[in-house]
Amino acid sequence: MFAIESLIIDLLMNFFTREEINAFLRNPQNTAIIIGSLIAISGALLGSFLLLRGMALTSDAISHTVLLGIVVAFIIMGAILNQEPDLSSPWLIIGAAAAGVVTVVLTELIHRSGLVRQDAALGLAFPLLFALAIILISRFVEDAHIDEDAVMVGEIGVAWANTNSHCIDNCETVIITPESTRAEFTRQCTNCRELGISPRDAGAEFQEICSNCGTYSPGQAWRAGLIENEPILVFWPQAITVTALMALLTIGFVLLFYKELKLSSFDAALAKALGFRPGVLHYALMVLVSLVAVGAFDAVGSILVIAFFIIPPAAAYLLTDRLSVMLLLSAIIGSAGAFFGYDLARGNFLGIVQMSEVLALLNRLFGLDLLEQWDSSISASMVLMIFFFFLLAWVFSPRYGLISTLLKRANQRYRFNNQVVLGHIYNHQHSEEEVTELIADRLHEHFRWSRARMTRVLARLRAANLIQIADNIVRLTPRGEDRVRLFRQRDLATHAPGEN
Amino acid sequence: MLRLSPADRRVWLLITIMVMVGALLIPFSQLVLDIEMTYTVRTVALGGSVLGVVSGVLGCFAVLRRESLMGDALSHAALPGVGIAFLLAGRDLGALLIGAGIASWLGVQFIRALMSTTRVKQDTAMGIVLAAWFAAGIALLAYIQARPDASQAGLDTFIFGQAAAIVERDVQLITIMGLMAFIVLGLFWKEFKLVTFDPEFAGANGFRTGLINTMLSTLIVVAIVLGLQLAGVILMVGMLIAPGIAARQWTHKLDQMVILSAVFGAFAGGAGAMFSAVDADIPTGPMIIVAAFAIVTLSILFAPGRGLVWSLLQQRRDRRRFAARSTLRDLYKYACDHGAPSHPVPAALIIGMGRARASLGLRQLEKGGFVKQSGEYWLLTAAGAELAARDARNQRLWDIYREYSNELDLPLIIEDRQRDIHDLLPEPAVRKLEHKLEGGLA
Repeated sequence: MFAIESLIIDLLMNFFTREEINAFLRNPQNTAIIIGSLIAISGALLGSFLLLRGMALTSDAISHTVLLGIVVAFIIMGAILNQEPDLSSPWLIIGAAAAGVVTVVLTELIHRSGLVRQDAALGLAFPLLFALAIILISRFVEDAHIDEDAVMVGEIGVAWANTNSHCIDNCETVIITPESTRAEFTRQCTNCRELGISPRDAGAEFQEICSNCGTYSPGQAWRAGLIENEPILVFWPQAITVTALMALLTIGFVLLFYKELKLSSFDAALAKALGFRPGVLHYALMVLVSLVAVGAFDAVGSILVIAFFIIPPAAAYLLTDRLSVMLLLSAIIGSAGAFFGYDLARGNFLGIVQMSEVLALLNRLFGLDLLEQWDSSISASMVLMIFFFFLLAWVFSPRYGLISTLLKRANQRYRFNNQVVLGHIYNHQHSEEEVTELIADRLHEHFRWSRARMTRVLARLRAANLIQIADNIVRLTPRGEDRVRLFRQRDLATHAPGEN
Repeated sequence: MLRLSPADRRVWLLITIMVMVGALLIPFSQLVLDIEMTYTVRTVALGGSVLGVVSGVLGCFAVLRRESLMGDALSHAALPGVGIAFLLAGRDLGALLIGAGIASWLGVQFIRALMSTTRVKQDTAMGIVLAAWFAAGIALLAYIQARPDASQAGLDTFIFGQAAAIVERDVQLITIMGLMAFIVLGLFWKEFKLVTFDPEFAGANGFRTGLINTMLSTLIVVAIVLGLQLAGVILMVGMLIAPGIAARQWTHKLDQMVILSAVFGAFAGGAGAMFSAVDADIPTGPMIIVAAFAIVTLSILFAPGRGLVWSLLQQRRDRRRFAARSTLRDLYKYACDHGAPSHPVPAALIIGMGRARASLGLRQLEKGGFVKQSGEYWLLTAAGAELAARDARNQRLWDIYREYSNELDLPLIIEDRQRDIHDLLPEPAVRKLEHKLEGGLA
């Protein structure tokens, strides 16, 4: 991980100065937005395929059960390998990936019994695994490095502070051993604690202990005043590396297996028949989802990462029918949410509304005592922005949006009303039934419509010069008859071949 | 005395057993596990049981409507309601629960609106509500935490639940709300049943399915909100659906399923709470989930008529019966072709006819005393010959039924050749067939 960071920094140093890089990365906003966008891209790409496979909520389940993988990895590291538990250890990644696969396997096992439906199987499997994780945490994990709180609700705003320092110049590593001249010693009582005596009592034994021995990285050495030249350091947030790797892995996976993923998402049976291995791909996808979930939990928390998996693809799904466009759009929507979400957390909604003004207004209107300064969770605000973009897509999507759907339905109702009334008149006019079937102010009874509805439809048809009303009897105008004939020839012929 | 079918009797027996085991759990935990029945343990166990009943009953509908994960979405969706209620009314439990309920309820409505106006599927819609509502909740909680006073402390226990903090008043609240939910359920039982199993039919018959759906969702929201304190948002989904899934394995009837689910829920809630009292380090909510999952596993394995063990046994029985029957036919045909039913059949020949099936069949027949071995030969006993003859005649009757049922104007039945036609057709009809058979032979 460290080596990769060095590589990236070397690359960046060709274009920017050290000060520029440090200043950029030390700005919490830049770091948070970069990390947010990287998670958004991975989530959007994987989430699109999950959505198309009808397993959107699998990401929800996996992001919860990743906790079990982390806990088990912690316990293995601590108890068996005697290592200091560390959140960036490869064991953690293995644990998380395994947890994801276990979730999917357990769900399928329950489902395959044929006794429990898919959704119920998922709803059984992941609370169980999550419950086991919590029991393990409370029983075996002593130190407070992990608890369910930290894993469920992360905070992207502090990611900039957790850095690796990379030395560029004046790199002097200092090693102080007890023999070296700079070593400092203190006397320490070796048996006071076990005998319960104070160092001043007789019988106390002492030992000279080196208090500053150890290896100092250039940054530490400079801070301890061990070297004279200030090393040139770049402070690189760890979370950027982790999330960037996840994003690269995801993009690489999607590019490499685009065709296979597409085929197996839309027609798993065909994919199998053509000799692809949809099962292998399925599990690879699940492993990637777990990896992204574990890579992201530090930054956004494992519940909010679900939003990055589900909401951008759903928004893109409302906007397009093409898979490639959907992938691109959902990545853009997710990143845009990350970009504008940072400002929202600081109370600035797209530069249009200031939260402080809203809170002040609420206080004034309802006599409340709300703090008028809005300072909130950044990752949650990013999700809320993504959700806002989803709402926009839902309302305004040209093809599947609320407005176009409602217009379409209104139009269909309008045409349906016109056609059935015209058809009814056409069938009965100029016959004996005319006097019973076509009475203008009783026509609504034949359709079981309200009088108002029929009046509206008749007025419309009359205005269009399709019908005429004489002696309270409705008849078609020649234009209306033409319209009915045309409709029967064209629309009925294509839609219902049995008719006519 | 009520007259019950064997299946019904089984379910009621199970319910009785579960109640009795549940009652025995208290002395067991005291004597064997050495748990002191402190006020906290008693309250939490009681709370867990009552919540188990409420969520078990209402969860049945979530399971049957394929909305199992609705519990997951809605419990997460409750969070912003908690935040807003806190801002408006402070730390009042009633207000927080009402806020949670309203937020979840709005979540349901959003899911339905999204599903009815777009091509977004139910699971995606639930995921959207889950994540967006939860994010709003986290944003609100973060804002609240910035307040200078410390009154907000502990609000986030709503996310993970805190069973140990349950007091008697909470149990009373759960009980009263649960009873109210049950009264509504009882009043609209028919409507809920209809909408759950056949919404189109309900709609076509003039029931207001939208309204009934909303009521049912509201009840489920009530169960979730009541459980949040105890189980937390993440485990609530398991609490809601596990008893229902387990109960579904034992019965095909809704009323029995609901009662059984309530008993399972109470058992899981009480047992989980008590086992978690064994050690202070074991959290209660997760333990309840583990107990519930254990009940589900046992049900999936052992439920009569449906469970995995049951179907394995059934398969084995079917395989044996089939092997015995077909081997008997082979033997009988060979023997008759060579003169008499008691004619010996070479063992190598009969094994060659069906290999594994034949040897399995011979073992079964020998056990029943229908065949016996003598040296290299197998021969039918008198009982075997009689059975084979009856079977052959039965098959002939079936043949005739298939060919002449129209002509003889016989009642229409499903052709099940493994069964005696006498059991399936009324006596006069069989007599017609037999007449035809004899006539055909004459």
